[in-house]
Amino acid sequence: MSWRPSLLILLMGAVVARGAEPSPRVLYGSGGDFKGFDPVDSGDVESADQVCRVYEGLLEYDYLTRPYRVIPRLAAALPEVSPDGLTYTFKLRQGVRFQDDPCFPGGRGREVTAEDFVYSFRRLLDPKLESQGDWIFINHVLGAKEWAQRGDHNAPLPGFAARDRYTLEIRLAKPYPQLLWVLTMPYAFVVPREAVEFYGANFRNHPVGTGPFRLKSWRRNYRIEYERNPTFNGQRYPSEGEPEDRAAGLLADAGKPLPLLDRLVDYDIQEYYTMWQMFLGGQLYSSGINKDYFEKVITPELGLSDALKKKGIRLYKVPNLVTNYIGFNMRDPVVGPNKKLRQAFATALDVDKYIAVITNGRYSPANTPIPPGIPGHTNRPYPYQYNLSRAKQLLAEAGYPGGRDAQGRPLRLTMIMPGAGSTDARQLADFWAEQLRAIGIELVVQQLTFAEYLRREHDGETQLFIAGWVIDYPDAENFLKLFYGPNKCPGVNATNYQNPEFDRLYEQIATMPDSPERTALYERMAQITLDDCVWALIGYPLAYGLYQPWFQNYKPHAFPYANWKFYKVLPH
Amino acid sequence: MNTPDTLWRIAWRQLRRKRLAMVCLAILGVYAAVWVYAETQFWSARLRGVIPAYKQSHYDIRNQPPSLAHPLGTNYAGRDNLGQMIQGTRIAFEIGLLTSLIVIPIGFALGAVAGYFGRKVDTAVVYLYSVVDSVPGILLIMAIAYVVRGAVERSEAMQAVTRYVDAGLLAVCVGMGFTGWVGLCRLIRAEYMKHRERQYVLAARALGVSDFAIMFRHIAPNVLHLIIINFTLRFPGLVLTEAVLSYLGVGIANEPSWGAIINDAKQRLWLGNWWELGGATAAMFFLVLALNLFGDALRDALDPKLRTAEAKTA
Amino acid sequence: MSAYILRRLLSVIPITLGVLLITFLLFRVVGGNPAYRIAGKNATQERIAQIARERGYDKPYFLNWQAFPTGLFDAQFPRLCRQLLRGDFGESIKTKQRVSTMLREGVLPSLCVTTPLFFIELALAIALALLAAYYRDTWIDRGIMVVAVTGMSISSLVYIMVAQYWLASEWRLFPVWGFEGPQYLVLPVLIGVVAGTGGSVRFYRTVMLDEMYQDYVRTARAKGVSPRGVLFRHVLRNAMIPILTNVIVAIPFLYTGALLLENFFGIPGLGRLTVTALFTGDEDVIFATTFIGAILFVVANTITDIAYTWADPRIRLR
Repeated sequence: MSWRPSLLILLMGAVVARGAEPSPRVLYGSGGDFKGFDPVDSGDVESADQVCRVYEGLLEYDYLTRPYRVIPRLAAALPEVSPDGLTYTFKLRQGVRFQDDPCFPGGRGREVTAEDFVYSFRRLLDPKLESQGDWIFINHVLGAKEWAQRGDHNAPLPGFAARDRYTLEIRLAKPYPQLLWVLTMPYAFVVPREAVEFYGANFRNHPVGTGPFRLKSWRRNYRIEYERNPTFNGQRYPSEGEPEDRAAGLLADAGKPLPLLDRLVDYDIQEYYTMWQMFLGGQLYSSGINKDYFEKVITPELGLSDALKKKGIRLYKVPNLVTNYIGFNMRDPVVGPNKKLRQAFATALDVDKYIAVITNGRYSPANTPIPPGIPGHTNRPYPYQYNLSRAKQLLAEAGYPGGRDAQGRPLRLTMIMPGAGSTDARQLADFWAEQLRAIGIELVVQQLTFAEYLRREHDGETQLFIAGWVIDYPDAENFLKLFYGPNKCPGVNATNYQNPEFDRLYEQIATMPDSPERTALYERMAQITLDDCVWALIGYPLAYGLYQPWFQNYKPHAFPYANWKFYKVLPH
Repeated sequence: MNTPDTLWRIAWRQLRRKRLAMVCLAILGVYAAVWVYAETQFWSARLRGVIPAYKQSHYDIRNQPPSLAHPLGTNYAGRDNLGQMIQGTRIAFEIGLLTSLIVIPIGFALGAVAGYFGRKVDTAVVYLYSVVDSVPGILLIMAIAYVVRGAVERSEAMQAVTRYVDAGLLAVCVGMGFTGWVGLCRLIRAEYMKHRERQYVLAARALGVSDFAIMFRHIAPNVLHLIIINFTLRFPGLVLTEAVLSYLGVGIANEPSWGAIINDAKQRLWLGNWWELGGATAAMFFLVLALNLFGDALRDALDPKLRTAEAKTA
Repeated sequence: MSAYILRRLLSVIPITLGVLLITFLLFRVVGGNPAYRIAGKNATQERIAQIARERGYDKPYFLNWQAFPTGLFDAQFPRLCRQLLRGDFGESIKTKQRVSTMLREGVLPSLCVTTPLFFIELALAIALALLAAYYRDTWIDRGIMVVAVTGMSISSLVYIMVAQYWLASEWRLFPVWGFEGPQYLVLPVLIGVVAGTGGSVRFYRTVMLDEMYQDYVRTARAKGVSPRGVLFRHVLRNAMIPILTNVIVAIPFLYTGALLLENFFGIPGLGRLTVTALFTGDEDVIFATTFIGAILFVVANTITDIAYTWADPRIRLR
């Protein structure tokens, strides 16, 4: 799924977080600019985080057990699957209500039915809403593609049907191994028709969901506050986990009703150093570590400094399944058709220096788009290792000897990145520009607000862009879909890469369950994208997070968005 | 009758006696010399197509405290802070000059025709500057800068220009220029209204000298001192405004202006690195102070009545 | 006299129109068709045309000759005027909120900072200027002036940064960021006063000194009025006119909300709103704040002029 301002998040620690204050059971954190609460438009980490506080879906990941497994949430149980694997039948939990809201008659939230899921899923496919998440259904659900193309609301969509009030049936056109994973994503969350119609364009500002919290107030660029949802469908803290969880105190609240917090408050602080001061002052519950502060905070052995240890602050290192890269827009007339130019660009990036200096060694260098930890990742060396002379040679072969074009002017490329106005973004922009200057290319880096950055990516209005892709579910297909032709802008294929051979292979693996054959195909497809240099790879980040001692029940999770209900705050 | 000649000499003698003014002048001289040096540094690198020394990064020595090699320490990219400050001087002067290149012609021309011709022309000019003056300064500057930025992004011609002049610098100067001409215009207008009735002007008109010749060859030298005082006193305001604009993200992006340095440096206060912030602040402080004090002294020497003139020519 | 006042009041209209015109030119004409900015560079022509139709960007700028005579004023500028007269500032492109709502939400925090700031700074600056003028050329005067000029030569950014870092964060005397209660206002107001008083002191002192050199002061002293009496009864009153002109003219800027203070200290006022709008290219918001600021300025100016006229008998006779 998620587009991340990952570099900035991990460096500045503008982590969507919560912090604690003198008042118990309130979590105060810092969160940034996000697009809104519409699940249909929740394709980035920030939005997903907020959406998950208020909305829910059929399934979710179990919090404590590993390897990750899917458990029912609004569904009463995991679905019955027909023998041919094409029909999934879900029985819904009964008595789940939407939160109370003026959009309902009498202001009282009504019960969720199977029809609501049909409505929400169709919304995701609605071409007018231009959701970036339609990929979760469009190629697999029966009749989805045709329905989306017609764009007629009244047309039938056989793939989603409400058999009765509490029975939802999903019919597929071809086997979909990832279906259960994608149903945990915010794209598949349920929204009430009444709210969408009542609030219209303002729906994204006014969420009405079934989740553990509801929106209390939202002062843009300042503060957003959530309070416990009194009509939240009873869910209890898990009683199972991994062997070490009990010792870590993570099962102390087993069986207690969720959420364990009364309120969540996020401040939109925007400047890292202010946030850092507030964290040290005990006002926020967590923080990332900025590259400038890294050496003072983390010892050379990559442990926590004594000063912070004394405060009881805990350090967590979370390996995420993330790949950071610079993407080329294949539709751009300059970089699109010119493979040698892209390769020259990639070869000119001193990734090791970036990792050492900008990330303080927190990344590992990337060699393939698929990150380590899932099938499809290989250990083959990266074809575009940093090599200045080779880069210059490639550049000359690309038609730009010395970085000069036919008129003798230096080649100018434009790259977008999020983080407008922040100190770190400026320093990053500076760093990249300098790398390219070494081969004579003038790189103009535009720092945009996160929302504007996402919009341009979505609209295909880019030449180059820095991005990080966070895996949505434990399957490398999630990365490979980023290169699938039909997913081009406004879809997730932000590079607009079109390769018929790749597309053919993708369609093949799309219906294959996990197997050595599928893994081999994954590796082959990754290699194709490397040969075509669609991405200039940077690295796989390791997230360093700092947490206050009074913040409890935290366990790093690769898909952490819905875990707010488990967190707890001790009085301090 | 005070010919401009005598006025300047009298002013200079008066200034020379004031020690503070002379010290300030010396400080300004030092800054000007630094500016020239910085420009040579910039252009020699530019013309040779190499990366100038102040832009080269040495990440292994970043965030160092002051030492012999780096009297003000190094910044986040290992660049010498003193070198950065010197380049900041260059940016400050470029802003002052570029903005004044917009302010002075517009302010002078409009003030002159308004004051000299009076009536409808005057009404039009007064209307124009009242309107411009009504919009809150910083907002208008930011709005203009935003629009200029957009224009640069969209047009090829503008992109060519930005190879020589930083886009941010251009946007900032255009913004400050088109909002800053009002003060000068008011002063010049008042002066021209006064001079219009003077003997020498009436005489020239009787002799058949054309209006434009009177305005620009006869009266103009008498108001030159106003332009200079106005320039001297506006310069520090521009420098301070640039710092604010940089913070707001509308400033100069790719070159180390003092504003950009100050904004970058605040993050390293927690590390105990005060020298980066201190250096740029001091550099800005002394220039602004010297300009303010010298401008005051100059104004007192040339025409003390101007001290409260701004409040009364509303 | 009343003719003058009437004329002055009427002049508000052309100036307001002028301000509107400038902002309009800036955002719609010079900046190009906003539909392009809203839709994005690679948007299809249809999308751009659709946006243009929805928001009226496809109409001519000033007069719609094609729709003559009934639709003559169905053009962008007249429509804008009508809209603003209704108080309708449109919708924010980015957040879809009503701009008037956003403005309304931002006013209170801004005023909470700028109003105390304004009064404290005024009182302090006048007091210091009086002191300096009264004790002119002594070490008191020189001392005050040194502090004032030094103070105004340091960038307000630095004051804010240093204060926030040392006073708030390191020594924990004040909260670092936010707008959760009155104690959150103390530091911003304090810093605002410290940063802004220098320039005012300098100016007020000059005005007062000018008055003190006038003939009528000499006469008063010759008549036996005490120096302090001269100061307060004569000089201060006459000096108040240019001072007040300066001051009242600054009132509309209260609303722009001390941009820096709001941004650094996290006060969710109009200043922060405007800055964010500039970053995100939220045109309607920028337009609204610029326009309102200007209107306030025009109103304040007009009031000043009229009050000025009413107070000063010399001008009344014009």
